[in-house]
Amino acid sequence: MSSHKNPAARNLFFVIIFAIVIFILGADLDPYNQGQLAVVSMLLIGVLSVTLLTGTSGQISLGQGALMAVGGYASALTILNLGLSMWLALAIAIIVSAMAGLLLGFAAARLTGPYLAGTTLVLALALPSLANRFESVFGGDVGLNVDFGNPPSWLISAFGEIGYEQWQLYATVPLTCLALLATANILSSRTGRMWRAIRDNESAASLMGVNVSTNKIFTFVVSSGFAGLSGALYGLRGIVGPSVYPISLSLLLLTGAILGGLRSIAGALIGSALVVFLPDLIEWATRPLALSEQIGNYLPGLIGGVLLLLTVILNPGGIANVLHHHKNK
Amino acid sequence: MNTLITTLFLGTTRGAVFALVALGLVLVWRGAGIVNFAQMGQAMFSTYVASTLIIKGYGYWFAFLIALAVGAILGAIVDLAVMRPLTRRSHAGVLASDSMRATVPVIASLGILGVLQSLAGMIWAAEERGFPTPVSDVAVKPFGKTAPFTKFDLFIIVVVALTLVVTTLFFKKTGMGLAMRATALNPEVARLSGIRISRVRTLSWAISGVASSLAGLLITPSANLSPNTLDLILIVGFTAAVVGGLDSLPGSVVGGFILGLLIAVINVYVSPDDVFLALLVFLLLVLILKPGGLFASKKVRNV
Repeated sequence: MSSHKNPAARNLFFVIIFAIVIFILGADLDPYNQGQLAVVSMLLIGVLSVTLLTGTSGQISLGQGALMAVGGYASALTILNLGLSMWLALAIAIIVSAMAGLLLGFAAARLTGPYLAGTTLVLALALPSLANRFESVFGGDVGLNVDFGNPPSWLISAFGEIGYEQWQLYATVPLTCLALLATANILSSRTGRMWRAIRDNESAASLMGVNVSTNKIFTFVVSSGFAGLSGALYGLRGIVGPSVYPISLSLLLLTGAILGGLRSIAGALIGSALVVFLPDLIEWATRPLALSEQIGNYLPGLIGGVLLLLTVILNPGGIANVLHHHKNK
Repeated sequence: MNTLITTLFLGTTRGAVFALVALGLVLVWRGAGIVNFAQMGQAMFSTYVASTLIIKGYGYWFAFLIALAVGAILGAIVDLAVMRPLTRRSHAGVLASDSMRATVPVIASLGILGVLQSLAGMIWAAEERGFPTPVSDVAVKPFGKTAPFTKFDLFIIVVVALTLVVTTLFFKKTGMGLAMRATALNPEVARLSGIRISRVRTLSWAISGVASSLAGLLITPSANLSPNTLDLILIVGFTAAVVGGLDSLPGSVVGGFILGLLIAVINVYVSPDDVFLALLVFLLLVLILKPGGLFASKKVRNV
C-alpha cells in the first residue's frame, strides 16, 4: 500500500472523513441523539488517553476520571474567574491536567500493574474530596455551572438554526479530530515505538537505549492532557462537580477501550460509541419484555461487565481485532 | 484523654476488619499473583445472602456460616471461570508481555465487580439495609462506668484473632498450607515436586473469599448494606496490604491495624472528609520510601 509511505497524510485523510461523517450525521439526528453523539465524541478523547497509556505503554490507570475532573475544574475556573473564552479555557485545561499527569507520572513510573491500579484508584477517590475541602473555590458538592454558550453567528448563517446539543457536537468534533490525529501520529512515530517497546519488554527496551522512566512519565503527561480535554468538554455540558466525575467514569473509559480494542484508534472509536449507546440499545431491545425499573437500571452494568469479561478472556484484542482479522483474510 | 481512648478502640476494631480484607488480598496475591479488586464485591454478595436469610427468619449463626460458604464458593468460581482461563491464554496476543499480564487480571476483576454489583442491585433492589449484630452493640458498663467499647467490638476482636490463629496454624501445620507456601514461593519448583498448583490457587481464592466475607459480615452493621458500600473498605484494605508488603501475611495484619488507627485519628482529630486524602498521601509515602512495605526483607522487589 502506498499510504504506508506517508502515515501522517493518511491519518489526516481518515480524520477529515470522520469529521465530515459526524457533521452530516449530527445535522439529521434528534437533539437527544445529537447530545449522545457529542458525549461519544468527548469520551473518545478520554478513551484515547487509555489507548495511549494502557494499550501502548502498558501502564494502567483507574484514575483517568480524576484527571478528567482536573481538566473540568481548570476550564470552569478559567471561564468563571478570568472571564476567558471557552477555547482558551480548554487549552488551559489541557496544560493543567498535563501538569497533574507529570506529578502522577513521577510516582507512577516506579509502579507496575496492580500497585499502579490501586494507587490511581485511591487518587480517584481522594481528589473529589478537595472540592469540599476548598468549597469556596470549587463549589463543594454542587459544583460550578458552565456551558458551551451560544453557537457563533457565522455557523448559524452557514448551517441555519443550530440547537444546543448540535452546538455541543460541533464544538467538540474538531477537538476530537485533533486528538485522533495526535494519537495516530504518536502511534506511528518513534515515540510510539518506544512506548510499545517498554510495554512489551522493559529490560529489552532499556538495553536498546530507551529511557524507560522518562518515557513512562511522558506517557502519563500526554495521556493526562487528553483526559483533561475530555473532562473539560464533558463538564461544559452544564456542571463541573464531584458527581460529574465519579469513579465509574474511569471504569467506563477503561471498559470502552477494552471492548473496542485496547491497541487501536478504531477500537477506541468503536468502544466509546458502544459504552455511550449501550444503555439506550438495551433499553430499546428489552422494551417488549416490560422489565421492572429495578432490573432495567442494573441491566447495562451487568451486560457491560459480562462483555468486559468475555472480551478479556476470549478476545483480548477487542472488536477492532476481529474486524482487522476479517479484513486480512 | 477519654477521646483518645475511644479513638484507639475504634481504630483497633476497624483495624481488625481491615486486617481481614488485607489478608484476603494477600492470599490471592501470593497464590495467583493477582490483586483482586472484586474481593469486596464478593463479600457484599455473601453479606446480602446472610441478610436475606436473617430477614426470612433464620438465626444469625446459620446465616453467618452460609455467608462464609458463599464467600468460599464465589472465590473458587472467580478463579475457575475467569482467572484460570485468562492465565491459560496469557502467552497469546495482548497478554504476551509482563506489563499486560499484570494489568489484564486487574481489568477482569473490575469486570467481576461490575457483574456482582449489578446482580445484587437486581436481586436485592439496591435498598440500603441494616445488618444485625450477634451481641449487643451498646457500650458495655463494667463497674457502673461506661467503657469506650461495645460487646460487638469485643466480638470483632475475638473473631479476627481466632481467624488469624487458625490461618497461621493452617499455613504452619498442615500439608495443604505447606503446599500453598511452596506455590507462593516458587510455582515452578512446587509443580515439579508434585503439588497441583492450579488446585492450590483455587483454594487460595476460596480462603480469601471466606476472609473477605467475614470482613463484610463484621463491618456491615456499622456501615449499612448496599451494592457499593464495601468498595471503600477494599481501598483501605489494599493500602493496608501494600503497607504490609502485599506478600506477607503477618505484614497485612499489622498494616490493617495501622490503617485502622490512622483512619480513626484522622476521623476524630482532623475531619472525616480528609480520610481519603490522608490515605493517598500515606500510600504514596510508603510506596516511595519503603516500596517493599514497612516490613520488607532484604530481597529487592520491583513494585
